[in-house]
Amino acid sequence: MSDKEIQNPKSKIQNRSDFYEITNESLDVGAIARRVVPASCGAIVTLDGFVRQFTKGRETEYLVYEAYEPMALKEMEKLVARAHEEFEIENVGIVHRLGKLEIGETSVVISVASPHRRAAFEACEWLIKELKRTVPIWKKEVYRGGEIWIEGDSQVKSEK
Amino acid sequence: MKVSVLFFGATADEVGEREINLEFSDNAKASDAFGEIVSKFPRLASHKLLFAVNQEYASGDEIISDGDELAVFTAVSGG
Repeated sequence: MSDKEIQNPKSKIQNRSDFYEITNESLDVGAIARRVVPASCGAIVTLDGFVRQFTKGRETEYLVYEAYEPMALKEMEKLVARAHEEFEIENVGIVHRLGKLEIGETSVVISVASPHRRAAFEACEWLIKELKRTVPIWKKEVYRGGEIWIEGDSQVKSEK
Repeated sequence: MKVSVLFFGATADEVGEREINLEFSDNAKASDAFGEIVSKFPRLASHKLLFAVNQEYASGDEIISDGDELAVFTAVSGG
């Protein structure tokens, strides 16, 4: 079911039907989640990360996301590979949207399919945490009174 | 030896460019190259910075080559 060609040139498919993509289009969370399902799986866990209105006392008007796209895709590929090493899961799908996002719009979807739900939950949590630490994507918050590029606070070590 | 240097988000705002080309002596270390970039654009120093060479996070010990793609950016904030 997930074997069909993906038209988005920014996506990559591996034999396992994992996918990781960057897009400027709005995200259909349900459609993304359905793409990870093989017959062996008993659970899909999907994270729908969307734009919230209030952050640290600021009222957000909208967000703008930007990426170092080729490096972001490489880092996402590494994340998917590490998730398979760490957790007993089947397919993983990650889609991150770029550009201007309004309140309530989905910025990132991570879907994990697994024979058992516990691994799916743990892998999904791990993937969002690691994505936020390592994938070169940045968000600019435009709020009442100004705008600011959000700078993460995690360390990244280069891996040899 | 010429390399391109990419900036994103806050670093692009500080530098006023998204891409520049710089010349370094042959066999320059990445850490020296990045040090020169920050000296050239001192506003970068007010941020905690990450560095990449050819789309991989850099430790600084890498030797850079003609045609390499360097990048300087702030800690990531996707998701």
